[in-house]
Amino acid sequence: MSLPAFDDTIAAIATAPGDSGLAVVRVSGAGALACAARVFEGAPLESALSHTLHHGWARGPAEGAPRLDEVVAAVFRAPRSYTREDVVEFSCHGGRLPARRLLAALLGAGARLATPGEFTLRAFLRGRLDLAQAEAVADLIHAETERAADLALAQLSGALSKELHAITERVRDALAETEARVDFAEDVGGVEVPPHVREAIASAAAQLEAMLAGSAFARAVREGVHVPLVGRPNAGKSSLFNALLGEARAIVTDVPGTTRDRVSEPLELAGVRVTLSDTAGVREAADAIEAEGVERALASLASAACVLWVVDASRALTSEDHALAARFGAARVLVALNQSDRPGVTRASEVEALLPTALTCVPVSAVTGAGVDALREALARQLGGPESASLAGAVANARHAEALTRAAGALRRAGGAAQEGAPGEIVALELREALAAAGEVTGETLGEDLLERIFARFCIGK
Amino acid sequence: MIPPLPQAPRALDMGPAPGVPTHALPLDAAAAASRAGRFDVVVVGAGHAGCEAAHAAARMGLSVALVTVQVGDTAKMSCNPAIGGVAKGHMVRELDALGGLMGRITDRAGIQFKVLNRGRGPAVWSPRAQCDKRAYSAAMLDVLAATPGLQFVAGTAERVRLDAAGRVAGLELSDGRVLESRAVVITPGTFLDGVMHIGEQRVAGGRIGEHAALALSRCLGALGLERGRLKTGTPPRLHRDSVETAACTEAPGDEPPRPFSHWTESLTLTQVLCWSTHTTAETHAVIRDNLSRSPLYSGDIRGVGPRYCPSLEDKVVKFPERLSHHLFLEPEGREVDEIYVNGVSTSMPADVQWAFLRTIPGLERCEMLRPGYAVEYDFVLPHQLDPTLQARRTPGLWLAGQICGTSGYEEAAAQGFVAGVNAARTVRGESPWVLRRDEAYIGVLVDDLVTREHREPYRMFTSAAEHRLLLRADNADERLAAAGHALGLITDAQRERVRARYADIAAEESRLARVQVRPVGEVARSGVTARDWLARPQSAYAALPALGVATALAEPEAEALEVRVKYHGYIERQRRTAAQATAAESLRLPVALWDTDLRGVSHEAAEKLRRWRPETLGQAGRIAGVSPADLAILAVLRARKI
Repeated sequence: MSLPAFDDTIAAIATAPGDSGLAVVRVSGAGALACAARVFEGAPLESALSHTLHHGWARGPAEGAPRLDEVVAAVFRAPRSYTREDVVEFSCHGGRLPARRLLAALLGAGARLATPGEFTLRAFLRGRLDLAQAEAVADLIHAETERAADLALAQLSGALSKELHAITERVRDALAETEARVDFAEDVGGVEVPPHVREAIASAAAQLEAMLAGSAFARAVREGVHVPLVGRPNAGKSSLFNALLGEARAIVTDVPGTTRDRVSEPLELAGVRVTLSDTAGVREAADAIEAEGVERALASLASAACVLWVVDASRALTSEDHALAARFGAARVLVALNQSDRPGVTRASEVEALLPTALTCVPVSAVTGAGVDALREALARQLGGPESASLAGAVANARHAEALTRAAGALRRAGGAAQEGAPGEIVALELREALAAAGEVTGETLGEDLLERIFARFCIGK
Repeated sequence: MIPPLPQAPRALDMGPAPGVPTHALPLDAAAAASRAGRFDVVVVGAGHAGCEAAHAAARMGLSVALVTVQVGDTAKMSCNPAIGGVAKGHMVRELDALGGLMGRITDRAGIQFKVLNRGRGPAVWSPRAQCDKRAYSAAMLDVLAATPGLQFVAGTAERVRLDAAGRVAGLELSDGRVLESRAVVITPGTFLDGVMHIGEQRVAGGRIGEHAALALSRCLGALGLERGRLKTGTPPRLHRDSVETAACTEAPGDEPPRPFSHWTESLTLTQVLCWSTHTTAETHAVIRDNLSRSPLYSGDIRGVGPRYCPSLEDKVVKFPERLSHHLFLEPEGREVDEIYVNGVSTSMPADVQWAFLRTIPGLERCEMLRPGYAVEYDFVLPHQLDPTLQARRTPGLWLAGQICGTSGYEEAAAQGFVAGVNAARTVRGESPWVLRRDEAYIGVLVDDLVTREHREPYRMFTSAAEHRLLLRADNADERLAAAGHALGLITDAQRERVRARYADIAAEESRLARVQVRPVGEVARSGVTARDWLARPQSAYAALPALGVATALAEPEAEALEVRVKYHGYIERQRRTAAQATAAESLRLPVALWDTDLRGVSHEAAEKLRRWRPETLGQAGRIAGVSPADLAILAVLRARKI
């Protein structure tokens, strides 16, 4: 592992660069108070009480160095601080220079420039946050919708860790009982894994799966989703794209094949940041550039959470529609039966017949705007988000979802093995695997380089 | 047939003949001086740990003194007359594959052989054998007497002598003799300040009729070793003729008996019968009425006893819902009158024992030859030992067996072997020899001892081994014979035999993978190979001929093949996790780390780490109170190469 040192004093600008009223420079570590005191003209910070504010002047650490800014120093003593170390936060004037000059002074006074996420890494290493909570800090910073922020906050307050802990405790009990029967086979006799333990395993698996079932939407909330608009050329994709966004973005003409490159725009639906991408019309391409656009559109379908398929309802379905339907694969498909103000030729049932899986058809007119709201709602439903569902304890992080999927799989295998009367040590092996996988979420099990990968997502100063 | 053990006629100082009390011999100074001498390794105590230690060191070519009070008590089975059982039997097989003695001696002294848990998973198939306890001692004495370089010294160890640098320089005996040596292995069993309790009676001693080792315990204290107190118990022995066996259930051995040792071809013996019976409501009433007379409940015993081998009074008090407990009646030998009552460990007064025993079916007219008793003794907190069982602060001093806080002959023997081998290697200037947790239960045992906190005697369980599917009794030789050969304790011929055995098994597996069978009752088109058929839970190798497939392997090999095939997927998975775990074990933590301030490590973890001084990051992770975050910090500290 190549984590940064954790026992020296670090400093960084904690606010975003650019013009602002105030900026905050943070310093943390065993030497934070001494270091801050060297660049502070005012009350003696080294003897300051915890959770006190001190007005004064920042200046360079050298003897007789000039003043740099008028600041307020907030003192937090270990362990009652963000990092559980001594922390001083200087509020200085905003803009580019004041904070940079203050940081330079702190580095001159012996602090080291913090790496991205290092303050939060220290909070984790000092045991103030578990891994899932530490990750929530980054999520909160990166949140782009209210719901994403709420979700991150719930995780930061330990909702996910708590829910998970309740499940893993039951698995631990099941393991202990299974182990006891392996080692004391002579004394206990009878079955390898008794029914009540099998039930506990099955219910733990079901609980994990329930958490994971909400995970698609929670991940959509956290990460946003990408929804490609596809359909035959001139089916009205660009008009619909604009109608959904509520303003004209993509170029709209009556000439088929006008939209060559994907145009992406985000909008918020049910608290989810949805990136709609208007794609080139899918048809036998007339030239190479268009062919390239078509291929890119088709390639994007595989990675999409949901596909919005625009069908021109005023014309009959063609071979191109059939070809397109074949490319959807396992993607969820929402159909916009466009141009419903004109006489309909193609009916919903005909479109549904093209796909083996269930899909939703919404009649819509991109021109009049009729049905656009219904389409928005249908799209929100497709993303899996019941409007009112609580996201507390939801699995929003792909890393968490992957680990918990492995845990649930191991639990299901454990249950299956127990059901078939497999030896207790086999059931125990699966249970141990489930616990190890679940432990990766909170950091109870640390894989190689896990910490580096996680904290690399942070910005400097957090 | 059991191969004859080497019986080289040699002039050995055997001390007094078995049965002659040492203290009755005249000890004049000249005789004492002539018996002193220089040895490469000195082993104190000829119990199950000491015998393995002395034998291994001597077989490695060193001169070894084995110090014991009574040579005739060598490898005495102080408690139950049996070797093996779940997880314990695994360790005996491992010892055997490494060149240890316990398995071979058991084959010579066994009177009933059984593989436990046959109906369960392969990880818990465990060999166990009832032994004739006199024959066991005699067989061990035979082998040790015939081991070149090994010399018995009859006497009582008094003090470990150190040189000016604090290294071991020798051992002083109570009669003034000094055995000079740079390596001393101490295996005193329950004799360190031992106190026996039989009801209200308290007697100093490590075993009935034998003195406690007080001076040695004080000496270990003077060396700065932190000690604790443990307790163990042994059940009453009954006169065979007073037991109404017809009222009990017969418990016979396996026929044919399977030998314990890899090097024993077959066993020919008439096996003895054991019997099972059970306690009754009346038994429990007698115990409850007399609890105030039990030293366990009156507060006379301070030591902590094993949770898994509780006394009968413990069972009655702690499991009031159980109205009856099973117990086994086990003869202590072919020619002896003693019956061991397995399951009735007790320290009640003799009259209470006699009263409750007579409420048990079959024992209504029983006569006790010896009451059960509890013994309390000193042990050394094993965090003070390194992974070779050497005391960290006293180079040259190894400890093994109950002194390290374990319970059981097998646990003791395994430690004795590890200590003896490492003492020998240290004397020869070689590197430490340590088994990994995924290599052997012996590795798990030693690692658990030196990295975990122990509040009760440590007994091995299969659940202690996280890689248990790899550590089976059937493949101990495959896992360890090469290591035993490298140590010089397994001969070329033995290693070749193991290689050939597994080559045969592998060849048979590939042959079966090429043969198609049509299982009875299945449609013709289902083309299944014999190997895949064998992988099914209900299939057996012995049933192959019925499907038209000839078989090539004899029984133990056939069984090993079945396990491989049936559990292939799981074994492979466990192999992968073991490989990952080994990576953490390879990250060594420098000793100098523990003298730094460990800044960043949580307070609790830092305290534990300084106490245990783990040698690898993997070991650090097994110490209770050390979190993954602490490990991450240790990894950073380690990378700085202090």
